[in-house]
Amino acid sequence: MTIVDAHCHIASLDFIPRSFIEASLANMAVLLSARGVPATPAKLWSMYEPKMQDANCDELVAEMAAAGISRAVLLAADFSYALKDCTLTVEESFERHRDVLRRHPGRFEVFGGVDPRWGADGLALFERSLTEFGFRGFKVYPPCGFSPSARELFPYYELCAQHRVPVLLHVGPTSPALSFETTNPFLVDEAARLFPTVNFILAHGAVNFPAECAMMCRFRPNVYLDISAFQTALAWDPPDAAVRGIVSQGINHKILFGTDWPVFRMQGRQTDFVEAVFRAGGPLAGIGETDRALVAHGNAERLLGSGLPAAWKDDVDAQLQYR
Amino acid sequence: MPPTIDDRIIALVAGAAPAGARRTITRETHLKRDLGLDSIALLALVFRFEQEFGIDLRALGADVDVGRLRTVGDVIDAGAALIGRAGAKQEGAMRVTS
Repeated sequence: MTIVDAHCHIASLDFIPRSFIEASLANMAVLLSARGVPATPAKLWSMYEPKMQDANCDELVAEMAAAGISRAVLLAADFSYALKDCTLTVEESFERHRDVLRRHPGRFEVFGGVDPRWGADGLALFERSLTEFGFRGFKVYPPCGFSPSARELFPYYELCAQHRVPVLLHVGPTSPALSFETTNPFLVDEAARLFPTVNFILAHGAVNFPAECAMMCRFRPNVYLDISAFQTALAWDPPDAAVRGIVSQGINHKILFGTDWPVFRMQGRQTDFVEAVFRAGGPLAGIGETDRALVAHGNAERLLGSGLPAAWKDDVDAQLQYR
Repeated sequence: MPPTIDDRIIALVAGAAPAGARRTITRETHLKRDLGLDSIALLALVFRFEQEFGIDLRALGADVDVGRLRTVGDVIDAGAALIGRAGAKQEGAMRVTS
């Protein structure tokens, strides 16, 4: 079975700042300490830091091969406006992602992210990422302090429409270092309506605001979700519940498999996460082979292609009126 | 007869399992399927192991891969290896200072 992982990051502090991770580990330390476990943020950091030494994605490629994942989408989120301990500029981050594409041909696609408050320079850089670096999408991170329907993002969405690339945006809670205020999936509704030829992927939609994400997928033709971070549900739910629930709502043509590598490296390997979802008798057991293939790779491949049925192209262009 | 290292590790695992989990534990007992231990519980187990055996995994430079722990046997083997490594390091330190 072909599998595409629609949600990964480069496992390096060069791309995910320390403040982001430390805040998340502090949250975990609270959980463990409340149960009398002698866990401190420093100890958790010492366990997690070795998992963030894969700047060239060599470890990720090895784990993909072991797990049967043929391709993965690397998301270059831009934290540089919101967090002050980023070690690279956005341009440097993009160049390093381009280097990974060259190092592992055919294994990755990259969605570049730019905080819209970086203005014209940021927009120009994003366009370069599509025309020169070979990136295939736009990564939006609302917890940095902006709505996914902020007007400042519209020029980016215009480029996405022009180049026929999708947008992947985070929904729901994230590291405590950032805000959760602008992470409700309904906040993308205006953008999705005004840019009907741009496909929007709601990241973590199986576990964060699942009802709202499913609703958006069901009623907006250009809205999708990925199931990454389903691993968080393993802590308080039977492991099948989150994924089984989301694939039981008639929207399997909108669901993408994802693992959010390297976020859950302390909890398991890519083979574990693939097995958790695709094993016989697992959460996809109740759906047919066609839908199973859509979730595993079909939906991602369609979005990474033109994103539209070929017969629609001319009609949609004629209807493009968002000003 | 004092408990063996294996006995002490098994006791840690049993203590980490939810109240309704099975209590007959062998090396083949599956941590998740038989004892209901999720990844957070396994992480907690690592810290309790440090506390039980007086080992600082960070000082030891040990990279604990919780994801590799599938059975009680895996935990026993990993624990025994870490204890051995801690003991060897302590012996080396004593040879340097004596």
